[in-house]
Amino acid sequence: MNTDKKEFAAFPEEEALVPSRSRAQEFFRLLNKNRLAFAGLAIFILFFLTAVAGLVLTSGTKPVLDPALVRLPEKLRPPLSRPNLQVLRPEQIPRLGIYLLGTDDLGRDVFARMLQGAWVSLTVGFVAVGISVVVGIFMGGIAGYFGQEQIRADRILVLILLFLGIGLAFLAHPSLGILLFALGICLWILCGRAKLRLEGSPWARFLFAETISVDTLIMRLVDIMLCFPSFFLILTVVALLPASIYNIMIVIGLTSWMGTTRFVRAEFLSLREQDFVTAAKALGVSKWRIIFRHMIPNAMAPVLVSATIGIATAILTEAGLSFLGFGVPPPHATWGNILSDGKRFIFDAPWLTFEPGLAILIVVLSFNLFGEGLRDILNPKLRERY
Amino acid sequence: MLSFIGRSVIQKLVTLFLVSIVSFLIIHIAPGEPSQVNPLNPKFTPEIVERFRKAFHLDKPLHVQYFYFYKDLLTGKTTSWKDNQSVLKKIWERFLNSLPLFIVGTLITWTISFPIGIRAAIARGGIYDRSTTFLAYLLISIPGFFFAYILIIFVVTRFHVPVIGMETFGLREATTIHMIMDRIWHLLLPSVLGATGGVAILSRYVRSQMLEVESQDYVRTAKAKGLPPEQVHYKHALRNALLPFVTMFGLILPGLIGGSVIIESIFSWPGMGRMAYEAILARDYPVILTVNFISAVLVLAGTFLSDLLYLMVDPRIRL
Repeated sequence: MNTDKKEFAAFPEEEALVPSRSRAQEFFRLLNKNRLAFAGLAIFILFFLTAVAGLVLTSGTKPVLDPALVRLPEKLRPPLSRPNLQVLRPEQIPRLGIYLLGTDDLGRDVFARMLQGAWVSLTVGFVAVGISVVVGIFMGGIAGYFGQEQIRADRILVLILLFLGIGLAFLAHPSLGILLFALGICLWILCGRAKLRLEGSPWARFLFAETISVDTLIMRLVDIMLCFPSFFLILTVVALLPASIYNIMIVIGLTSWMGTTRFVRAEFLSLREQDFVTAAKALGVSKWRIIFRHMIPNAMAPVLVSATIGIATAILTEAGLSFLGFGVPPPHATWGNILSDGKRFIFDAPWLTFEPGLAILIVVLSFNLFGEGLRDILNPKLRERY
Repeated sequence: MLSFIGRSVIQKLVTLFLVSIVSFLIIHIAPGEPSQVNPLNPKFTPEIVERFRKAFHLDKPLHVQYFYFYKDLLTGKTTSWKDNQSVLKKIWERFLNSLPLFIVGTLITWTISFPIGIRAAIARGGIYDRSTTFLAYLLISIPGFFFAYILIIFVVTRFHVPVIGMETFGLREATTIHMIMDRIWHLLLPSVLGATGGVAILSRYVRSQMLEVESQDYVRTAKAKGLPPEQVHYKHALRNALLPFVTMFGLILPGLIGGSVIIESIFSWPGMGRMAYEAILARDYPVILTVNFISAVLVLAGTFLSDLLYLMVDPRIRL
């Protein structure tokens, strides 16, 4: 090592090795060049701040802006109109002194309701996509890294017994279910113990036979999930479950992980053949450390892009569900149900349609633009295209 | 070739079987029972509920119910719980209503996207390209129901024509030409709405395919030979760029049964989507499951068809 250093002493080491721009600087330089993506990011930050402000201002027992306060004499006032102070009790006077975005058919302040709805859209988008990304990376990572490994018949048998046991215990016969569950656990322990002793006997050949690979299993699962018409599936499940915002997030998340799984699997398949992974293995780095420290960061680019666009899709789906009357229970406002309530007054009070509609449009558009910009920025091959 | 077909048919059948199990479980494990939908209805006495449960095998364990249901479905005898009509007949009627929407929507999508995408690719980076790109994002991002109301306001206030429903009520005595025009007006908006997302996505896809081909060596050679630009673009580039789109014909297939729930409810269009929506509200499990099953069949058939088409069109793929 010392001799090496002497040889290269002519080059000042620090300056030669550090790139002229850091990764973040390079990222922002490219982002600045792509004006649409930059606008998307700016709108997204604005939306984020609005949603947080909305949560603070409209929640609690005595909110600053009350989205549920009914003022029947003041119904369907257009945007920017002044409240009629003679008919209102002092506590009903809007805090801003003006109906910034008008009032709806019950005289509720649409501005406050829009603020409340912003938080719903934001959380639905992020939590749903968070769930789908976590599931997607997990499934895709397993399929890509452990894909070639075969599942032995005894493991499948154990799993079937365990699941059947749990299912039966909760649904029909508790005693039979617990029996099956216990049987499954016994089989699991026995198979682990007896593997070496049974080697070679015909029983073992059947019991420890290799059936299908992990990769096939996960990819078939993806195929199955892709067979369901997604909006219809979400609608069915949401309609059957009790109405709550958390159910919507979970259902949207659990029905949209297939794309991420495919991306991550493809990335992992190519990454595991790369030299740096071989080097890490040769150094004796553990499997999980290789996966989490070396492979997942390198597979993140397509996941980030699809997640950003996924947020846009999730917001649209949630809006569609609330438009159809599913989802968040009524007194709580979402952009979808403001629009849905306003559709009866479409010719008399068009602002009830246009305000939430435009808000959804702008937010979804910003996510889509930022996602596409991100694709260009993160993809070195496409960098010179524009 | 034959072994490929055989293998993929078997694979698809296995997938279909698993889909049928999963969809059955999702519906039946969810809380609530169809016999409890309306406990306040005076006609729903306990005896009737009991008879109802017996008639539809609801008192049997799940796997027996599964067996009964798919036996009925495959022999075409499934009946709706709501009105005791044959489910397949109901779906067929609604399918015929949705079909015009699907056909017009698909025609609009495929005829508009190609010229837009090709021109955007040829003039890459120009004002046309950038504006169509932005427009495509706008169309992808706009919520369908919001766009529907914008179009309704525009058409109704500008042209003074009714657009809700399949036809105007009470037009029996009108002349044929009026009837036809009425039908077209009613058909126009829902199918345009159904096509917006498709136009946006397909035109972007056409553009990226064209860009891919335009950067190939043979296109550069054709340009260098001094061929007129029309010939380079449309004869050398376009023909090769079209390849993946042949396979997309297979992927249209699932759209046959889809039908947009939201658009059909806004326009009171008695199509598939609305029927599925009403079935969900009424917990009419046979209808929900049948729609799900048919759409799974169409998705699988569509991917199979597109694989097959790719095999026939692209000489580079040999098995």
